[in-house]
Amino acid sequence: MATAALRSQVAAKWHEAFNRLNRTEPGISGLVSFSQAWNIATEYLHPYDISDPMVAKKHDLASVKAAFEIVNRSRRLPVMLETFLDDICNQYHLIIRDITQYLAEYEQSADTSVMLRLVFRLVEWYRAWAPIDELGPTIRGAYTLTFQTQLFSILPPAFVRGFKALCASTLVPVAQHTPQMWEAFEILGLTDRYEGIIASVGYERIEDYVRETCAGKWDAPCLEGLRAWMTEQIVPWMLPMYAKGAINTEDARGMLQNVGSRFDFHMNKTLCDLRTSEIFDIIIDFPDSMGALQDLKECLQRVDQRASLVQSLRKANRKRLLHPGADTKLILSQYVATIKCLRIVDPPGVLLFKVADPIRRYLRERPDTIRSIVANLVGDDDSGDSLVDENEPIQPLQQLETEDYNDPHWDPEPIDAGPDFRTNKPSDVISTLVSIYDSKDLFVKELQVLLAQRLLAITDDNFEKVEKERRNIEILKIRFGEAALQVCEVMLKDMSDSKRIDGHVQSKKASIVHPTIISRHFWPSLESSDIVMPGQFQALQLDYAKEFSTFKPDKKLRWLPHLGTVHLELQLEDRTIETDVPPLEAAFIELFSEKNIWTMDELIEGVGAVDRIAALKALITWIDLGVLKEDEENTFRLLEVTEEAAPAARTAPTAIEAPTVTAAQQQQAEQMRLYWKFIEGMLTNLGSLPLDRIQTMLRFAPGYDQTVEQLAGFMEAARREGLVVGRDGMWKLNR
Amino acid sequence: MEQLTTSLAPPRANPKPSVTNSSQQVAGSVAKRLGNELMSLMMSSSPGISAFPKSDGNLFEWVGTIEGPAETIYAGLTFRISISFPANYPYVAPAIKFDTPCFHPNVDINSGAICLDILQDKWSAVYSVQTILLSLQSLLGEPNNASPLNTDAAAVWDTPDSLCLIKLLSDKLTVTTVFRTQLMKHYRPVKDAA
Repeated sequence: MATAALRSQVAAKWHEAFNRLNRTEPGISGLVSFSQAWNIATEYLHPYDISDPMVAKKHDLASVKAAFEIVNRSRRLPVMLETFLDDICNQYHLIIRDITQYLAEYEQSADTSVMLRLVFRLVEWYRAWAPIDELGPTIRGAYTLTFQTQLFSILPPAFVRGFKALCASTLVPVAQHTPQMWEAFEILGLTDRYEGIIASVGYERIEDYVRETCAGKWDAPCLEGLRAWMTEQIVPWMLPMYAKGAINTEDARGMLQNVGSRFDFHMNKTLCDLRTSEIFDIIIDFPDSMGALQDLKECLQRVDQRASLVQSLRKANRKRLLHPGADTKLILSQYVATIKCLRIVDPPGVLLFKVADPIRRYLRERPDTIRSIVANLVGDDDSGDSLVDENEPIQPLQQLETEDYNDPHWDPEPIDAGPDFRTNKPSDVISTLVSIYDSKDLFVKELQVLLAQRLLAITDDNFEKVEKERRNIEILKIRFGEAALQVCEVMLKDMSDSKRIDGHVQSKKASIVHPTIISRHFWPSLESSDIVMPGQFQALQLDYAKEFSTFKPDKKLRWLPHLGTVHLELQLEDRTIETDVPPLEAAFIELFSEKNIWTMDELIEGVGAVDRIAALKALITWIDLGVLKEDEENTFRLLEVTEEAAPAARTAPTAIEAPTVTAAQQQQAEQMRLYWKFIEGMLTNLGSLPLDRIQTMLRFAPGYDQTVEQLAGFMEAARREGLVVGRDGMWKLNR
Repeated sequence: MEQLTTSLAPPRANPKPSVTNSSQQVAGSVAKRLGNELMSLMMSSSPGISAFPKSDGNLFEWVGTIEGPAETIYAGLTFRISISFPANYPYVAPAIKFDTPCFHPNVDINSGAICLDILQDKWSAVYSVQTILLSLQSLLGEPNNASPLNTDAAAVWDTPDSLCLIKLLSDKLTVTTVFRTQLMKHYRPVKDAA
């Protein structure tokens, strides 16, 4: 039973198949014509070796088409397609052979034209194997897909490298054959598959170009030029790839927009990276690096690289600026340049705030920062390279203002501003520098010290210089306020008073001494000295003092004999020497008028007490002038008759020229030492105390005027030295 | 024994009324004097003695610290004392007592009262806080057993040849050990309470 059923089923199937192939032709003629057509068709489709000229065959297109028609009518086309695609896979070794051969050649010559030939060759293969268009897009599509799949599966990594080189080679200059090449890429499906690589060629080209043209060129903005270059060079290159099938320029522009902005972004990013890496030097070059800063500003708006800019600049500062080898003045000027530069790049000042913080902290630790700033303020800089822009209007110091809640132009703080960011209204540079420290008192004190030094250095009634100082002080008054500079005012007045008093005293009794009379109370403490001027100098001083006390009976003249200069004329047996020397030198040579040979100890005794190094220095001055000679160590002889100058036996010991005025900081340290005694005393007896209690207890110390913040800083310093320990706001001695 | 009872009375319990009346005007100059004394005490570097006003409002109450002198039985111990200046200081000696219990022939172990001649009849206006502190420090090493406030301590101390230097002789070692035991029994280390 089953057999019968099976049989009938098989018979039905067979009939159906037969009818399909035989169509409605009589007998088996349909079947015969089908098998002929099948043969022709497969023959035609068979992937042949194009490099074998023998196989190249001519087909009668009409009969081929007829054959396909028959196959199609028999609905055997899918089967034929399958066979065809299988054949392609089987025959692909031919292509592989070619590829291997070309790539080997390329590897050897590294000539991109080889790659180009390979691509064209692949196109040849593709064309040769392609089925006729009449078979419809489905078959065509299936073929392309199979061909490309096979191709991509066998392309070795070497091909990618070559491909990239080929793309790059067409970029500069844009080669003649570029359109054909793009077409070939398109046919082979390479554009889609290797889009990343093609884009990276563009990116790399942009990077190279930016580095080539813009590195180290900071005077003019580069961005405009770069954009023009992009339009001229990059856009034509990417036109065939990204704007294929564009009908008109309008169309092309639309297609390019996406990729164009990507390239533009990349250009901005590259430039931004470059400038970020150069930022430290750009700041050094300011204001000649204006262009670069404008570029950077524009780039930063497009590319979010602010954080890396800050990081890079901070790193560069740490490495190149904030180390013991850098001069404070240099750090200051770089800081000022940084302020100016970052204001251009980022007007709200967030970047500046972040970058400036470490610099300011470092400067605060430097002992001579204030001195440098003040020296610059009064134009004491020999270099003349003033921190302050001369065109900048002089204005009062700006205090950090708290936020004004009624400000109608209030802007929220920028998004990357930290919590401790303070809106730094574009204040002037001096205000910014002064704000490194918490109070301007330090500056005023240092200013006094500096002014004292400069005033005392003025000799010979050089009143112009005094006038210059006065002008300086007037300018500084605008900045620091009248009250703060009162002491300076007194000092200047002392100068003119001295001149007046001297004039008066001289009119009573002419003297060659012209003292500068200063009010001790207002001048910074001057270094005292125990020198007693010997011989005629003392007589001169006494005479003058007598005249002075008759003129001003309520005042007492106290000499600071070690300051000033003495104009001397030495009459020796064979020569006369005229010279200007410091008082100590004069005192020594005066002693030599008593006897010709002195030992060092005798000399020192003769002028009271004086430091040996200072004494030696004074004596060496005379040795250098050929007036004295050191016969044996520490014994000096006056050369009445000049002797052949022996090579200087001694060179002046490198004693640092002691500043005549104790620096304000030193004074403060001195004071703090006194307060420390009190703090130590109270902590010994009262155990641990909170800071404010210490502050109020320091009332017992005479002249205590520190703020609680200053005290906190001091305690912190004491803690670092291991003198005290602080816990929970309580301080106690560390023992 | 007679002296003992007299000195047991609080040293400055009865200041002369005539002087206190005029204290109002004197207070300023006293404060100035105390200020100067504080300054010179802070500036001097006498090891082991120190004193400071208790609070910023009142210059008349001070706290002092005395470290036991080296090579005495008190070596290594720190004693806190309180100093209270009368309004007519320096014409009258300040009242001083030990806050840290001190086992010493001339110090009352309970009240901390001190028997020292310069704090009583031998007081002079030329003395200062610093001299007092120095005297107290030396008193620790050399007690005056003629007028003991603490008879127990004096008794222990007074046992034959009681120079209490540990390093001398072995038979004195017992004496010193006895004294030291007593001393340590009463001693309370100084705490850092403000």
